[in-house]
Amino acid sequence: MPDSHPLPTTATVRVQRFNPDNDKKPRIQEFKVPLTADTTILDALHYIKAELDGSLTFRRSCRHAICGSCAMNVNGRNMLVCKTPLTRELDQQARVTIKPLPYLPIIKDLVVDRSSFWEQYQRVKPWLIPPDNVPEKEFRVSPEEVEALHNAETCIMCGACYSACQVIAMTKEYIGPHALLKAFLRVLDPRDAAPGERLADLDGGDGVYRCHTIFNCIDACPKNLNPTQAIETLRKLAQKRQAYEVERAERQKTLTQPVK
Amino acid sequence: MSKPEPLTHDVIVVGAGLAGSWAAMIASQQGVKDVAVLSKIHPLRSHSGAAQGGIAAALGNTRPVPSTGAEGPLEQVPDGSEPSDSLESHIFDTIKGSDWLGDQDAIEIMINDAPRVIYEYEHLGCVFSRTPDGRVNQRRFGGHSAPRACFAADWTGHVLLHTIHEQALRHGVKFYSEWYCMDLIVEDNICRGVVALNILTGEIHTIRAKAVMFGTGGYGRAYKITSNAHANTGDGVAIAYNAGVPLMDMEFVQFHPTGLYKHGILMSEACRGEGGYLVNSQGERFMERYAKAKMELAPRDLVSRSEQQEINEGRGGEADRDAIYLDLRHLGREKILQRLPQVRELAIDFVGTDPIDKLVPIQPTAHYSMGGIPCDASGQVIADAQGTPVVGFYAAGECACISVHGANRLGTNSLLDASVFGRRAGFAIAEFVKGGAQLHPIAGDPAERNRQRVRSRMENPGKESIDKIADALKTTMTINCGVFRDGGKLQIALQDIQRLEERFAHAPIRDKSSRFNTDVLNALETEHLLSFSAVIVAGAIARTECRGAHWRTDHPARDDQNWLKHTLAQRQGEGEPPKLDYKPVNINYEKYPPQERKY
Ligand SMILES: Cc1cc2nc3c(=O)[nH]c(=O)nc-3n(C[C@H](O)[C@H](O)[C@H](O)COP(=O)(O)OP(=O)(O)OC[C@H]3O[C@@H](n4cnc5c(N)ncnc54)[C@H](O)[C@@H]3O)c2cc1C
Ligand code: FES
Repeated sequence: MPDSHPLPTTATVRVQRFNPDNDKKPRIQEFKVPLTADTTILDALHYIKAELDGSLTFRRSCRHAICGSCAMNVNGRNMLVCKTPLTRELDQQARVTIKPLPYLPIIKDLVVDRSSFWEQYQRVKPWLIPPDNVPEKEFRVSPEEVEALHNAETCIMCGACYSACQVIAMTKEYIGPHALLKAFLRVLDPRDAAPGERLADLDGGDGVYRCHTIFNCIDACPKNLNPTQAIETLRKLAQKRQAYEVERAERQKTLTQPVK
Repeated sequence: MSKPEPLTHDVIVVGAGLAGSWAAMIASQQGVKDVAVLSKIHPLRSHSGAAQGGIAAALGNTRPVPSTGAEGPLEQVPDGSEPSDSLESHIFDTIKGSDWLGDQDAIEIMINDAPRVIYEYEHLGCVFSRTPDGRVNQRRFGGHSAPRACFAADWTGHVLLHTIHEQALRHGVKFYSEWYCMDLIVEDNICRGVVALNILTGEIHTIRAKAVMFGTGGYGRAYKITSNAHANTGDGVAIAYNAGVPLMDMEFVQFHPTGLYKHGILMSEACRGEGGYLVNSQGERFMERYAKAKMELAPRDLVSRSEQQEINEGRGGEADRDAIYLDLRHLGREKILQRLPQVRELAIDFVGTDPIDKLVPIQPTAHYSMGGIPCDASGQVIADAQGTPVVGFYAAGECACISVHGANRLGTNSLLDASVFGRRAGFAIAEFVKGGAQLHPIAGDPAERNRQRVRSRMENPGKESIDKIADALKTTMTINCGVFRDGGKLQIALQDIQRLEERFAHAPIRDKSSRFNTDVLNALETEHLLSFSAVIVAGAIARTECRGAHWRTDHPARDDQNWLKHTLAQRQGEGEPPKLDYKPVNINYEKYPPQERKY
């Protein structure tokens, strides 16, 4: 919506509806929703559910971009609807179109089945595998080593990247940007005792080489993370896996000593 | 709807936040084979993940640079120097913060466990922010007399939650994601299982278990302006109450001083911990008038009241003159980007203000539930003031009341509470199950009763809107049972709730389908909000004193003579007010006798 226009008082929200138990195929339904400058898209969905149609179905919880529930497809782009102002997405006729995340089975309306997403997450063993010898206090990790993990640690597992990925669109065998990002977090963490094993797994046909570097994941990520870069890093590390394992083993010898 | 076979597990944990996930992970690690966790939203969406500022432990890793005073910039404590913090100090701060309503034996347990729990988080992969020499970094927080908030930038809860969920997966815990617990089965003081709705299919199941634990989180959604997620509807608290378990200290609801104006979304206390100011519309740092020593880092109850006082006396800002401002500008861009990146984005996204160069409009927001399901330090739920156990029923985290926070919780003590007592409940449950706990028979068909509960609301011919009822409840709770309370306002809240209960009887579920029916959830959650809100108000009416977050303008002083005691509210018949009973506070009169609370 260009800023110069005065704000219309209502918006037309076009929502894709589908209940596989009753409907043959998805359809678009239009709702008129009151509009103010700070109405978010989630507010609009709540308004529809409360006032116009109690059967409209969507996920949400935190309403401030941290729980990852509310990723949807708005005007063809994946985003978190809780932090997106409605005005930002309206066209000249004050319309917006909301659909579920693409390439995933629809459970109902805007709710998708993320089973394959979570299976891949589990497949990369998202947990840290700590070294055998644990100190009485904390492991010593430098601020720089922590900084290197920032690209991955704030991922909220919303699925926006996953469902924007052209490889995922073709095959759910691919591990996917979210799970590779998680794998990156563990591989790069100086405390993890199994980076070699992890890299060997990621090196297979469903892993880091499946990424076609189309960068859709970066555009889709509401947290401004960069899965492509993480995948790139993993690829490089996979190529020098043994050297990296030696490097890690060396680093773990000093994990209980001050870094400076 | 078909009638599925009852499911059975050794242990059912309801709630996959920090409390539930710790308990499940530990029980499993201790050798209980069959541990299952139910969560109405995916475990990683639990509200623990929204916690921003930090988790408290007296590690003593940082201190003010010597000779810069208590407010000075922080540095890492050089190896071999005097300890800069102590367990004693953390214990005393917590007791004082609680306005002496916290049970001192439980507080000691929590704080003694704190360093251990932080180190476990660290060993299990939690990505904490670090000091230059690689230790866990620590910042200041309100009401704490040393920098003891361990943090990961301002997404601390997120990294803690991911760490523990992943470790629970590693230990083979089974997760029922998007299952809604709607009933607890207790007969003769023995817990036998739960009734739960599989949200995807709409089927309602009885789930039998030898032990049930609730880690269902807080009840901030009873208020209109709140920092809490939509999921925080206090289900566990209401379900336990309906099953005959009393609720403790429900009248103590914390209002956080810095919710984004009109939204309630949290701007972490870390903003002030890092040195942020609060100013009124005249640009004054008004905390000078209310807490000269601690200023912005006084405890939350006091700061929220000070803000409300400023607003009430006409010194609020924005169009409605009911905003206060958070000033971070002097911290500088670099510090804001490094330490407070998430809150900066929230301010930009939700009120269109970049804290790097602008004041952020804020207001008090309902934040934390001090009250809840009464239990001891191993999570064992108790049935009365004498401490009779409800066998096989445990609780921890925000839904529980042990009580370590008393009348007011200190910031960063609740992630600690959920972690320490979730963990302890895990050990206690493992011991209970391995000690030969049995599955107990269940009378009647609780699942069928609950199917009927949903069916009758679906078929309800009434025209009332559940959303309007929930909204009216939140409005009256905010206006009449908020930061400042008095007898008159509380009576209005009580009558409003009674009227809303009557209207709710005529409120149908509009979505008639069985698959992923969020309208059913909405109805059940609203039923729960109404039932425990009545308990909050009843406790608040009875308690004619000011203590911590419960502030009665018509009884403007703490009254230890009559009110140094916990409230226990027991459900009576349909539509009747709860029966209030009281329980003494555990106080070590030699070590920590009640004092005047000044900051
Ligand atoms: C915005 C915000 C910031 C905070 N920051 C801090 C901080 O910096 N430091 C600090 O110490 N504390 C902080 N707190 C408080 C702290 O986060 C919470 O008290 C704590 O995380 C609660 O953990 P929990 O495990 O008890 O509950 P939660 O994490 O809320 O988890 C509740 C679980 O129960 C499940 N559940 C609930 N009802 C049902 C049902 N009927 N059926 C099935 N499942 C159900 C939910 O799905 C969820 O998994 C903050 C709170 C908020 C709101
Ligand atoms: S509702 Fe939590 S991310 Fe949008």
